[in-house]
Formats: sequence, structure tokens, C-alpha cells
Amino acid sequence: MDLDLARQAQAGDESAFAEIVRRYSPRVFSVASRFFRQRSLVEEAAQEVFLKAYTQLGSFEGRGSIEGWLTRIATNTCLNMIRGAKRRPELSVSDLSDDEHGWLEQQSASDGSEQRSVENSLVAHDLADRLLAVLPPEDQQALLMIDGEDASIKEVAEATGWSESKVKVRAFRARRKLREAMEKLLKSKDGKRAEL
Amino acid sequence: MKDKCITEMLDNASVANLSDNELNEIRAHAKDCVSCRGAYEAARVSAVVLRNRAQASIEPSPFFQTRVMAALREQQAVESVPAMRRLWGSAKALVSAMAVTTAALAVLSFVLPAPATPVVDQTASVYSAESVIMDKSNDEQMTYEQVLSTIYADDDEAR
Repeated sequence: MDLDLARQAQAGDESAFAEIVRRYSPRVFSVASRFFRQRSLVEEAAQEVFLKAYTQLGSFEGRGSIEGWLTRIATNTCLNMIRGAKRRPELSVSDLSDDEHGWLEQQSASDGSEQRSVENSLVAHDLADRLLAVLPPEDQQALLMIDGEDASIKEVAEATGWSESKVKVRAFRARRKLREAMEKLLKSKDGKRAEL
Repeated sequence: MKDKCITEMLDNASVANLSDNELNEIRAHAKDCVSCRGAYEAARVSAVVLRNRAQASIEPSPFFQTRVMAALREQQAVESVPAMRRLWGSAKALVSAMAVTTAALAVLSFVLPAPATPVVDQTASVYSAESVIMDKSNDEQMTYEQVLSTIYADDDEAR
């Protein structure tokens, strides 16, 4: 069915392509949301993905799903968009807002069970973005898919076009770097609290 | 268990995906090891942060499909312009610049008068016959031609 839709769109049937956009835009948005938090950037990336997909319809052979094919285009498009951006220096405790301080306190004190609220989520999103900014975009991508979305190594390899061993290495390296950054942050936060 | 083993376990997989056995091992070791306790704490909070971030997904707006289709039509319209016309479009500036330069050169050649160039008589001499005959020359050496022209010029004047 996917292949039929792709063939119709390739033959110039606009309604078939409109159907592809309608059906798979949530997936493309979800991929772009991993990279960007601003709606305008997510929409820009998603539009770029569909325009690219239209010109590459001939390369879709129907072996996999359109969703997988679009996920790959989306991942590469977003990586290209983000590659030019400068990486930020490591986050230090003095950069933390009061809310972020509070959230970290809460997480350190908890037994591991997640305390969910809209405010908590927003603080955690900000903190995550700032922590992840120290990693290369490819490493961020691998870590968010594996640890954030429970994707398998194979799924990440399919979505990105990297080999499975490359995905493993990227995830391991990213996890270590993120953990070390968080450890420094927690230590300096505790040190600051002890000073007071 | 060695510290390195603990950190490797933590870096190999998210804390959320570690088995109960692995977690128990880590916790037992972390009780007496300050550095591993810090590493475990950091890995646990990082896992929560990542999970939260992954859940932040933006939904497409209801107009997204219309926007994409409009952008697609616009792209197709640009691509459908014949190649020669596109080539002419890009060459237009070059052709205009060349025409202006040619016109400017034509104006300069026909309208402006050519500058007058003074005719230099190479045989003209700054010496008088008297100075030559009386050998009152300066230290400068005169050429044979200069000597002749000076003498004959004075003869012509006398006639």
C-alpha cells in the first residue's frame, strides 16, 4: 500500500503525496522535535523533509516502510541543519536557574521514582537541552533514541544509516560524557549548599 | 567489584534499562564507594532528564499539509521555467555590463580629441657654432651629428 501511494505520487498525483504528508507528518515532527524545541524550526525541518522526499520518490523501492524511509530523511536533514551550530561549553552550577536547582534537589532526594508535573517537565526539558548541548548532534541523537525512547540499536542504525557498532560507540560515549557532566553539576551543587 | 566495572555498567546502558541484579550490585558497591555512588546518582538523574526530553514532541499544525503542498507547487513552478530562459536570466547582467562598457569606449574614442604630441627634433642642438669652433664646450661630449648640424645651421642663418 505504501509502495502504491509512493508510485502514484511519483506519477504526479498530488493527492497521493498530500496523503503521505498527512499520514506521516506526526512521525517526521517527532524526529525533528528531538533536535529542535522551537515550533518554527521543527516545522521548517519537517517541510524540508517532505520536499526532499518528493524529489527522491524514485529511490523508494518499497522494501521498507515509507515511515522508515521518511525517518531516515528526517534524521539526516535535521543533523545537517544542526551541524553548523556551535557546541556550547559545559554547563556549570552557576548557570542553573532556581527552578533547575530545585529540580535537581528533588531528583537527588527521590528514590528514583519520577515525579511528574508540567512545571517539572519543562524544567527537565531545559536542563536536558543544556546538558545535551555539550555533545555532538550525532551522539545526542543516538542517546535520545536509545535512552529516551527505548529504541533498539538496530532501529537507530536503520534511522540514521550508521552501522550498529557505530551506534553502540556513539551511545556509550554520549552516556559517559552526559553522566560526567551531571556528576560535576551535582558535586558543585552539593559543595555550594555546604558552603551556605 | 571494581570502580571501573561499575562505571562501565552505567555507560553501557541507561539506568532505566539495567536488570535488577545489575542494579543491586551497583547499589551494594555504592554504599561503601563514594565515587561510584556519585556516578550512579548522576547516571540515574541523567536517565530521568533524557526520558523527559524525549517526551517533548511537537505536533504538526492543521495547516502543515497545505503549507507543504504550496511549497511543493512553488518549487515545481521554479523548476518548470525552460533552461534557456533561466540561462538568459543569469547571463542578462553580464551582457548588460558588456554593452555599457562598449558604449563608453565608443564615446571616449569619437568624442574626446586626441592629445597633441610634441615633435622632437633629435638633431636640434643646444650649442652655438662659436662654442663648437672655439671648443668652448662643456664637459659633455658632443656627437658628430650635433657638431655638423650646429655649423650648418649657423651658415644657413648667415645666408
